[in-house]
Amino acid sequence: MAGERLVIVGGDAAGMSAASQVRRRRPDLEIVAFERTPFTSYSN
Amino acid sequence: MIRNPETFRERFRIDVRTGHEVVAIDPAGHRVLARRLADGLERWEPFDQLLIATGAVPYVPDLAGAGARGIFGVNTLQQGVEIRRFIEEERPQRGVIVGGGYIGLEMAEALIRQGLGVTLVDRQPQVMGTLDPDMGALVAEALRGIGVTIHLGEPLVGFETTGGRVTGVVTGERTLPADLVVLGMGVRPNSRLAREAGIPLGEKESIRVNGRMETEVAGVWAAGDCAESFHLVSRRPFYVALGTVANKHGRVAGINISGGNALFGGVVGTAITKVCDLEVARSGLHEKELAGLGIDYATARIESRTHAGYYPGVGPITVKLLAEKGSGRLLGGQIVGTQGAGKRIDIVAVSLHAGLTVAQVSDLDLAYAPPFSPVWDPVAIAARETTKLV
Repeated sequence: MAGERLVIVGGDAAGMSAASQVRRRRPDLEIVAFERTPFTSYSN
Repeated sequence: MIRNPETFRERFRIDVRTGHEVVAIDPAGHRVLARRLADGLERWEPFDQLLIATGAVPYVPDLAGAGARGIFGVNTLQQGVEIRRFIEEERPQRGVIVGGGYIGLEMAEALIRQGLGVTLVDRQPQVMGTLDPDMGALVAEALRGIGVTIHLGEPLVGFETTGGRVTGVVTGERTLPADLVVLGMGVRPNSRLAREAGIPLGEKESIRVNGRMETEVAGVWAAGDCAESFHLVSRRPFYVALGTVANKHGRVAGINISGGNALFGGVVGTAITKVCDLEVARSGLHEKELAGLGIDYATARIESRTHAGYYPGVGPITVKLLAEKGSGRLLGGQIVGTQGAGKRIDIVAVSLHAGLTVAQVSDLDLAYAPPFSPVWDPVAIAARETTKLV
């Protein structure tokens, strides 16, 4: 499914955990995350 | 742990656009409307799959003056930074905290350490509403011990302001002078975008999801503080806003979005915090929740020690357990005590996941050596006492 695009609304714990999983499993997917604040957060 | 947007962009090829707010979702058109906050420019962005991870927003009372300078919610890193900057620049002397939950407790300790005089008010007759009143009283005592003045059973009625700055907090009983006010009145799911897009909501208006974190709209997922969970003890939908749960939600959503198959099993309501030397933890259902569900329960509360009595650093621990009458199934537990007390709640959490009875909990083969525990672990002692009452 080349060219597929995931949009994430919110770049805190849930959004960035999901983004990291998707990047690991689907190198081809375009991932765009919109975050209102200047920060992203991620813990593992 | 904070990773900056550049790391995500360069190392993980995740196009993180900070300073951008999504203001509308169009599920049928497979697009979101994103606004760049710097200049207000709005643009429709297409998606094949959408994850809503909009978090929670602190409850802000609809009162005159609630927007005054010096009044803060503390729900994001940014808000924490703003409070710190305010303290450094404005040197407030009198802090008032509204709400005696996790945020309120942690902020009370933080402000005391910053040298402010701190008063905490809560409309409930106890602090820590996720604990039973008898356990909450232990926490209130500890707060008073570090110099926090507490007024319970006093609802927030209003704010006094001068020239757009807060000068006081008005409760049902009194007016408390204040230069800095922290609102810890709980959070609600930030589900407005989803609701406006016609995506069904559930418990406390969190976004309804299944165990795969799918909403009821195809191609749209939700995770974290904006999304619903399932409570494994009450067997009902449940709303909880905690980072641990958000990480798990996000992980499950990410696996499924990638074409995998993961399920979020649910929560048992475990949480922990600390006020100075006192560790405070809970899991499962407490008395008020059990009464609301109409579950007949027995409960026992015991006092013990965190380590062997002769071991350096030993301190008091109070454990309270609740179990279903008749079956003896463990329903919940609460722990308050000094170092080494709090993480014992994980025994309770695992036992709840496993559906153990209190008799089974009292027989668990738990680790013992003098630096870690009395010979009988306090949780096992509480389980044995509860067993006698079911």
